[in-house]
This record gives sequence, structure tokens and C-alpha cells, in this order.
Amino acid sequence: MQVFFQTIIGGISLGAVYALVALGFSLVYRTMGLVNFAHGNVVTVGAYLASTFYLTTKLPFALAMLVAIAVTAAIGLVIERVLRPLENRDFDLMLIGTIGFGIVLDALVIMIWGATGRAVPSPVPAAPIELFGLRIRTYDLVVLAIAAVATVLLVLFLSRTKRGAAMQAVAMDHEAATAVGIHVGRSNAIAFMIGAGLAALAGGLVGPLLYVNPALGGALGIKGFAAAILGGFGSIPGAIVGGLAIGVLDSFAAGHFQGYSELVTFLVFTVIIMIRPTGVFGERTVNRA
Amino acid sequence: MTAMSESATKTAQALTVEGLTVHYGGVCAVRDLSFAVPAGEAIGVIGANGAGKTSTLKAVMGLVPRKVGTLRYGDVDLSRVHARAMVRHRIGYVPEGRHVFAGLPVEKNLLLGAYVRKWNAETRATLAEVYEMFPVLGEMRGRLAGALSGGQQQMLAIGRALMARPRLLLLDEPSMGLSPKLVEEILAVLLRLRSEGLSLLLVEQNAKLTFEATSSCLVVENGEVAMRGTSAQLRHDPQVRRIYLGL
Amino acid sequence: MRYRIATLAIIAVAAWLLPYGLDSYAIHVVNVILIFAILAVGLGLCMGVGGQVNLAQVAFFGVGAYATAILTTRAGWGFWVSALLAIAATMAIGLLVGTPALRVQSHYLGIVTLGLALAFTNWVTNAQIAGGAEGISAIPVPTLPGVDLSSEYLYYYLELIVFALVLAFGLFIVRTALGRRMRAMRDDALAAGALGAEVPVLRMTAFLLASVYGGVAGVLYAGLIRYVAPESFSIANMFLLLAMVIIGGRQSLIGCVVGAVGLYLVREWLVDHPTVAQLAYGTVVVLVVVFAPTGLAGLPKRLRAALGRGRAGSAARLQPFRPYETRAEPAGQGAPILEADRISMHFRGLKALDEVSLSVTAGEIRGIVGPNGSGKTTLFNVISGLYRPTRGRVRFRGRDATGLAPYRLARAGMSRTFQNLRLFGDLTVEENVLVALDRSATWHSWHYLLRPVHVLRRDRDLHRRARESLDRYGLTEFAALPPKSLPYGIQRRVEIARAMAAGPALLLLDEPAAGLNGEEVRQLSEIVRSIRDSGVTVIVIEHNMGLVMSLCERITVLAGGRVIAEGEPAEVATTPAVIEAYLGDSMEVTG
Repeated sequence: MQVFFQTIIGGISLGAVYALVALGFSLVYRTMGLVNFAHGNVVTVGAYLASTFYLTTKLPFALAMLVAIAVTAAIGLVIERVLRPLENRDFDLMLIGTIGFGIVLDALVIMIWGATGRAVPSPVPAAPIELFGLRIRTYDLVVLAIAAVATVLLVLFLSRTKRGAAMQAVAMDHEAATAVGIHVGRSNAIAFMIGAGLAALAGGLVGPLLYVNPALGGALGIKGFAAAILGGFGSIPGAIVGGLAIGVLDSFAAGHFQGYSELVTFLVFTVIIMIRPTGVFGERTVNRA
Repeated sequence: MTAMSESATKTAQALTVEGLTVHYGGVCAVRDLSFAVPAGEAIGVIGANGAGKTSTLKAVMGLVPRKVGTLRYGDVDLSRVHARAMVRHRIGYVPEGRHVFAGLPVEKNLLLGAYVRKWNAETRATLAEVYEMFPVLGEMRGRLAGALSGGQQQMLAIGRALMARPRLLLLDEPSMGLSPKLVEEILAVLLRLRSEGLSLLLVEQNAKLTFEATSSCLVVENGEVAMRGTSAQLRHDPQVRRIYLGL
Repeated sequence: MRYRIATLAIIAVAAWLLPYGLDSYAIHVVNVILIFAILAVGLGLCMGVGGQVNLAQVAFFGVGAYATAILTTRAGWGFWVSALLAIAATMAIGLLVGTPALRVQSHYLGIVTLGLALAFTNWVTNAQIAGGAEGISAIPVPTLPGVDLSSEYLYYYLELIVFALVLAFGLFIVRTALGRRMRAMRDDALAAGALGAEVPVLRMTAFLLASVYGGVAGVLYAGLIRYVAPESFSIANMFLLLAMVIIGGRQSLIGCVVGAVGLYLVREWLVDHPTVAQLAYGTVVVLVVVFAPTGLAGLPKRLRAALGRGRAGSAARLQPFRPYETRAEPAGQGAPILEADRISMHFRGLKALDEVSLSVTAGEIRGIVGPNGSGKTTLFNVISGLYRPTRGRVRFRGRDATGLAPYRLARAGMSRTFQNLRLFGDLTVEENVLVALDRSATWHSWHYLLRPVHVLRRDRDLHRRARESLDRYGLTEFAALPPKSLPYGIQRRVEIARAMAAGPALLLLDEPAAGLNGEEVRQLSEIVRSIRDSGVTVIVIEHNMGLVMSLCERITVLAGGRVIAEGEPAEVATTPAVIEAYLGDSMEVTG
């Protein structure tokens, strides 16, 4: 039982990071109906930027994160602007376009920071907390707290602000949104910016948990995407539940199948998608002839 | 409804459209259409499905690529105004009822109608007026718009457009999918809006509703005007009766 | 034709002579390029032609290579036996990876296949049998009597022959019935299903083809490099492959080959700066999707279109419709061909249909009228299997047909048109008709491998019948044009010709007169009558009351999802409920 709970705790902190990545996917999907395959690469960029400002420029960790978020948000703007001609037109082409951006970002990361990785020391004391016989790393709690705050802010933004409502309206019906005066392009740009910012947040946070290397974002991106789909694409609570579920699944798979954890995670994920393609919180859509 | 009607009557203006043409790919949907909506009047556009009615409306709004000779509202040239800016010229667009923001609550839908205005006490007052006009929306304010019935969604689409306090309303088939009783209700709403001084451009396949709600009409076929006249004339025109009413 | 054969001969000779001008490193590069070209063709077939997003192509490649390596080194079997088994194994994996396509599409399918590709690399990096991170070395040289395949020069000829064969096979598929069906599915899966294309089987076929090409490439790779390791099958290589296909033009197999050759050469040229190469091809992918979505292969056509605008198509004219021969005694006259028994259809609380019952007799023309949104199209969608009704049953030709897949109903003799026209935009008018004419079962596709002549002969026969059908509908001059370029009225006629090409017993027409002018409406009613006289039962949804009144023997009136009247036109027109709902009571008073 002890081991069981310890495994869950181990999964939850990484799960929180997956959830942040999933939030980025879901936000962009919810507000512009697009799946951003470059999202994972933006995570890598965020992780490198945050660690660079933290380690090299010696900024405080929180400040380093903020700078990283700002820079990646700008990258998000560029991606949106280039792909704007395809918006509301060809879904598959846009998907491939974002894959292209992913390839570009991947190359840029290697050009700037090299192919080797770097370890980022934890910004908080390393000694774990003992609770009911379970060991919890302090940094895990930080990650969880930040993920929770980010989620709450995002939910408040979407449900309480005019801009948030407008952004969702754009994805639901861009013509009707235009007719009430919403600038669809600008709304999409903001969505992409926030999505990229979330990616940087996830990347920055994951630095001290994992080794920062060029392949980091690819792995996080695909797990985050899986999490988003698992929870129901576009759903905010779904992204959180999906992220935590994938984290825990990962953690159990790592415990039981060691090296094969990825294999098991993706097989389980595939089976779940086949049983329930709309995910846990997904809505059924009606297709019209 | 006083505030809404007051501003409408005081500043009513005429919409003038000349030489409107819409192409989709190689297909011509609207060909060289001209008409006007005089201040405070209601004009109807009727025709069969595929005749180019909806395209006409969207083209006036600027939602589809178009060519147009003259597009004027009062003395404002609208031919270069982007669709999203039309609402600032107090032109409201009511798409066919399915086009509400299905995943957002009713009240959010309405508030988004007032997107270009500040969400303040005045907006609240307009909201109360819309709820007064459509009590059912008030009862459903917390529900997702997608969960409403067809008639309620249509009311919501009209209510959303009213939130911006338009002086001219473009309506795309408000009777679509509604039972006869609901069509009567929509007619009552349209007549009320007219009595409050709004100008209406109504696109419909329901000829009966259109003749009762408007003062004059265009009949379009294949993107061109086949006939025009006052609604009273057209209603008795044998050709109209044969084609659109099947008599 | 002669020009084509000459070009082909020149290419063949050039390919044959190529090794004489290359040093040993260059020939190695060429050998690897051919392998990537085979992979790209497979991906093009699955993704470009079949429309199935497949990010596991590199895993198929890996399965083929690894299976060959394991079978030759671990089990000690001969190369060619191992090769055959490896391809079989890849096909099995291909079917497995393709199964999610039955449930999900587009980005979902992308992520699932990508995840499965990662699962594969994860497995080979860890499994002892696959050699872990070091991989498997010392794969034996493939043996061929009298040919020393350890020489890369001679290996080139083996690859060249295989490549030519698989490319030709791919082109054979694309240009005949199977490829047409796959392209139709890519364009519009719904319409393809309604015409009898077995969408699930086709999706699996797309993945099966991708895996065969992956397996063949894998086998060749194992024989060429004689060493396999996980990094050769990484996601980075998957994206490189994807870039090849996108840049070359995913819908053209030749484009895929050009993309593979071009991109690999650029990568080779920048071999000392791999990141620069990656940056370059990533950028090109982005530029291609934004500015030239059809890739390099689409450029000539776009150029021609840009240069020769206004010339093409203007000369084609619509010819009159030639009526069908009248059948004296339509089969099963008098018996109901379609019965709907208290159908209800609810969408999230919206009652689109409420206990609708309907019985249509064989040989009649039935009209269904009602205001917009009264449930007419929903009723068609239930009847033709697009929706499964919330309650109620449908019987077609005496059998229960409730919730049957559209393609099954189509094969049972039901055909339909769509309110908003669902012609396959990337196919020509003739190909649109061909898709409907083709009634063969997709699982018979093994004929492509074992009875190619039979396939060709059948295809020639289909073409002949398509020409006849186009001729009957007066569309011959439009045969080679893309349907979306035609005037609306002609598109409507193409859709009817296509629906009739499926040889239905029951034809459902959803607002066939929408957007037609007076003369076109007159022609339409002539066509519909002739169709009925040829023994086909017709149900027409229509707004144009004049047309319905003159055309239909019986009319069913829907309002608010319910049947409010049914009977002969004159009778229905005087029913108070109908006047109230549809014609308007005030009309009656003043009229």
C-alpha cells in the first residue's frame, strides 16, 4: 500500500507538468480549433530559456521563468501569424504546418544550446517532506501549486473576462464572432501566445525534475497531447485530469515495466482512445450531412 | 425597450446597396444586385434555397468576398469596412439560429453581443430589456446555448444582435426550423422591432412571414432579382403564389 | 503516349547507367535514397491518397528491418525467408496501428500513430532480442545466385528493380478503382460511404499498403546496411519522411519520390551541418503548406492555371438528357420498398424527428416537403444510415435496415444526393461517376497483386460504362473537369448521374432543385420521371412546391419533426394543417 501511494505521488508531480502542457494544447484547440504539434518544441525552448536565465544570467528562478514565458509567447505569435492564411480553412494542412514549425524550433534549440543537455538544480531545499510515511519532494509541491494556480487563472480568464469569452466564441463560430465585432485574428494570436506561455511554464518547471535536453519537449509534448485527448480535447478540467492520469499511469508503468513504461503508456492510451474517442470530459459533436 | 427604440428612431439611416456580386470558386452566387433599405423600413428578400439570399446578407456584412459598386449606410461608405466593424456602425447581424455560441451559457452569448461596448450598467440595462422581450432567455440564462431548442436559439441569436443596440438588423431566415406557432412569435418580435424604429433586412424562404413583416420585397432567383414590389403587391402576384406558395 | 514511353525509356536507361558515374560513397547514398523513396511512396499512399494521418511509417520501416535482423541473426534463417516473414510481420503491425483509424481521424489519429511509433522505439531500445541500444549487427548478406550483393553497386540494381516494381504498383492502385475509392474517401468519407465505399475496410487498406512499403524498405535497409539500431527509426526521421512527402506533394506518388530524392540530397549536401539542414527543411515545410499546399508535384498545374486562365472549360456545353428505357413492369410494384416505423431522432434535447412513420411503395415518386428545419434532411440521414435513430425502425426491401452503415445500405440498393452537393472535389466528373459505378468489394483488392490483368479489364469496363452514363446525362464534355469548377446546375446534374451510376433501387434526392433556374427545374423533373420509369423508386425532398406538386404521386408533409399530412398533391394542398404550417392561412383567405 505504501508503495502504491508513493507511486501515485511520484506520478502526480510529473502529471502536473503534463497537465500544463495539455492545458496549452486544449486552450489553443478550444479557442481556435487547432492542434499545435509544435507545442512540445515550444516546451523545450521554454525549458532552455528558463534554465539559461536561471543558471547563466543568475536571475531568480521565478523571474527566469517569467522572461522565458515572455519570449516563448512571442514565438507563439510568430507561428500564428505565419499560419493565419490557413485558419478556418484546411485543418490537416495547419496540423502539418505546426509540425514544420516544430522541426524548425528543434533545429534552433540545437543550434543555440547544442545537442547535449544540462541539469538544473532545484530552486527550493532538496530535503523531502515526510507525511504519513510518504516522502514528498518540496519541489513537487511547488510544481503542483504553480500548476493549480495557472489552472485557476486560466479558468477565471475564460469564464470571467470578456476576452476569454470572446476567444471561445471564435472557435465555436468565427462568423458570428466577427459579426459581434470580435477580431478573430487577434483572438487567435492571443490564444497562441497564452498556449506558448503555458508551454514555457511547463518547460521551466520540469527543468529541475528532468534533465533539460533537446528531446525533452518531444516527450513532454506527446504525453501532454495524450493527456489532453484523454481528458477530452478542449476541456480545461479534462486537461488536468488527463495530465494527472497520464503521470500516474507513467509512474506505475515505470514501476512495473521499467524500461518498457513508454510502450505500456502508449498502448493503454491507444486502447482508451478507441473505447472513448471523446475522452473523459469530451463533448459529442453531431456531424451534419 | 424605451432606450433602445429612442436611439434607433432618432438616428435612423438608409442602407444603399448597388451592384453587389459574390463568386464562390467559379460559381456566381449573387449577380449585380441593387436595393435599398430606407430608414425605419423593413425590406424582405425571398427566394428558393440556393437562390443567393444568405450570400446577399453575408456580402452586405462583408463576411464573404464580394464586389460591390456602392455600399452606403446614411453617408458612411461601408464598402471598405471590415465585417467586425459593422457593429460599430450599429448594424446588427442575426445569423440563422444554429449559429449561437453553443458551448457558452445564454447570458455570455448575449453579453458577447455587446462585445464592442463596455460591459457596464448600461449593458446590464440592455440585457434586462432583452430578457423582458424574450422572457424564456431569462429563465435559461445559465444554460449552455447549445442545449436550447431551435426556437430559443433563434431568439438568442436575435437577442445577441440587439445587445449592440443596432439601428439596422440583418436577419438570415429567422423562421428556419421553427414550428408555425414559433414563426408567429418571431413575426411578433419583428413587428415590435419595426415599431420601435429599427430598420430590417429580412432574408427568408417563408414568404408568408416575410410579406407580413416587411413593407416591400425582392424576389431573387439564381442570384438575381426576379421581381420587386411592395409586399402587398407581391403577395397577390400569381407568379409568386405559384412558385413560392405552391398554389 | 509515345512521348511518355520515350521519357520512361530514357529514365530507365539513365537509372541503369547511373552506377558507372558514381564513387562508392555516392552509390551508398543513392541506395539509401531509394529506400527513403519507397517509404515516401508508402506514406503518400496512406496519407496523401487515403487521407489517413500516419506518423508510424518509420515504425513500419523499423519493424521490417528489425524482423529481418532478428530472424537472420537470432533464428539463423535465410535472408529471403526472413524477408518475407518480416514483410508479413510489418503488415500485421500495420493492421494493428491502423485499427484506431476506425474510430478516430485527423489529429487524433496523428497522435495515436505517433505514440505507437514511440512505443516501438521504446521496445527495441529495451528488448534483449532486439539488441537494446546497440542494435543488431552482422546481418548476413542477402544471397542471390551469381550476384554478389555485398557490392553496393550490384545491390543498387536489386533496389532499383524493387523500387520500380513498387512504384509501378502504387501508380497502378492510384489510377484504378482502389485508388479512386481511397481518394474519394479522403475528399469526403461521408459521401464515399453513401456511394457504397466500405470506409472502414478502405482505411485499413491504406494502413496495410503503408506497412507493406515500410516492410519492403526495412528489408532492403537491413540487407544494405546489415546493421539496425533504434536511432534509425526515430521520430526525427519520421518528420524528415513527412517533410519529403509534403514538400514533394502528398497526393502524387511521383511527387513523393521527388521529395524524398531532393530532401535527402540536400541533407547529404549539408551533412556536416545537420541542424542547418533540419532548419531548412522545416522552413520549407511551413512555406509549402502556406503557399503551395499541393507541393512540388502541384506546381506545374498551378503554373498552367495561372498562365492559361480563362481558356479551359469554357468550351464545354451541357447536352440534353437522354431518357432511360421504360420498364413495362417495375419489379416489386405495389410492395413497400421502404418503411419507416415511428422514427424519433434527438440531438442533445433537440427533437429533430418525433415518431415519423412513412411507407413508400416501389415504383412511386414520393415528395417530402416541409419548412426548413422541419426534419426532412434528418429523416434522409436516418434512412440512409448516417444517423442511428433514437427510437424506431427502418425497413428497406423487406429487411430491417435500422442503423446499418451507409455503405451497406448503398450496396443493398439505396443511393442519395446531398442538399449541399457533396461531389468529390479532387476527382474529375468522370471519376466521381466511376466511384459510384464500382460495386466490387474492397477486400477483393488482392486481385491487384495476383490478377492485375483482371483489374485492368474491369477498370476498362467501368470507364466504358461511365462514358455511357455521362453521355446519357449530357455531361460528356465535362468528363475531365473538376466538378467544383462547374456551374451549380451542372453540379446538381453530376450528383444525380453519380447517384444513379450506383444502380439503386431507391433514389433519395435532397433538394435537387435548389439553386436551379426555371429551365433547369423543367429538365430535372424530366430526368426524375425517366428515372422512375426505368424502375427506380424516388423520394424527393423539395422546397419548390410547383415541382413537388407536378412530379410526385404522393406527398408527405413534415413540420416540427412530425408528419402532419400525407396524400396526393391536390389533397395535401387543401389540408388545413398544411396550409397553416407551410402555405400560410392568410394566403388561403385572400386567394
